[in-house]
Amino acid sequence: MALVRAAQRGRMAAFEELVARHRDKIYARAYSMMRNEDDAIDLSQEAWVKAWQRLKQFQGDSSFGTWLTRIVINLCLDQLRKQKRQRAESIEELGEESGGVERQMPVIAANPTAGLERDELRQRIDRALGQLSYEHRTVLVLHEFEELEYKEIAKVMGCSIGTVMSRLFYARRKLAALLADLKKESET
Amino acid sequence: MTQHEEQLELQAYLDGELDEARARAVAARLARDQQAASLLRELRLTRQALAAGEVVRPLPETREFYWSKIQRELDRLEAPATRPVRESFALRLRRFLLPASGVALVAGLGVAVARWHGAGYTGGTETALDDSGALTYHDYSAGATLVWVSYPAEEELAQDDEIGTVE
Repeated sequence: MALVRAAQRGRMAAFEELVARHRDKIYARAYSMMRNEDDAIDLSQEAWVKAWQRLKQFQGDSSFGTWLTRIVINLCLDQLRKQKRQRAESIEELGEESGGVERQMPVIAANPTAGLERDELRQRIDRALGQLSYEHRTVLVLHEFEELEYKEIAKVMGCSIGTVMSRLFYARRKLAALLADLKKESET
Repeated sequence: MTQHEEQLELQAYLDGELDEARARAVAARLARDQQAASLLRELRLTRQALAAGEVVRPLPETREFYWSKIQRELDRLEAPATRPVRESFALRLRRFLLPASGVALVAGLGVAVARWHGAGYTGGTETALDDSGALTYHDYSAGATLVWVSYPAEEELAQDDEIGTVE
């Protein structure tokens, strides 16, 4: 907290130290949302610039890391929305968003991650997350990794709680199917 | 309640987002609905898998390089707040000094020329002749007289114009 206070008083050296301490976490969050190294680096740096500009607004209600993570998440969401507007949506993505496919999927009975070591499990989840649409991936990241409640996710994503619940449901169902596929793939 | 709404309620039950009364109602449904119980199990397994956390992914840039780009951007953003003041002051100063120095130069030359000629200056007379519209200037030191004659006389031209207008 002393570093944050020093940075708030305009000490650039203190701010540089904060960057050094939190940079991996902020980059990792940007990567988990963007799935692209260059975008993740650029957006994480943009988040630091924004943090410096808004540093006086940080009151310490949450940890500095949490506050900064919200900034990078918002930047990533803005960027993803821009990208979505710029490219024509594929039929698959539209279908995924409506959730029609996931609703019809049979329930996965066997645990698709049983017996996996932690690192291997993380690798599989990472691969599966990379195959989700950004809306589904984001809602999972915010709920499972950032541990936000439905209403907080709705606020961050700018949608209703109902939409959050739908997206989270489809995202989980799709992820379960992807993990089952990866399990089959590894067994063959 | 539609089937989809029941599914979402089941998920909310898993996430602890239901109030006590709704949670009790869902628990009762799970006891008699095998399909709902299977779906809840799948959702729970997925949630448990995600609890393993994320792949550790360190930033692929050195501390110095990463920071240098942030610092450059901060410098760039902070520059406009200070530069315009300096620039506008410099511009204002230049804008004032250029004409002022020009005027000062002309005035200085004028004074110098006047002083140089001052000793021999004997003055001059300027006369305007109303009738012809001519103007004369006599320089005593040079002993010369200059006469400007406008032809035709401006007054005549004006009169011609008036006559023409009447016609």
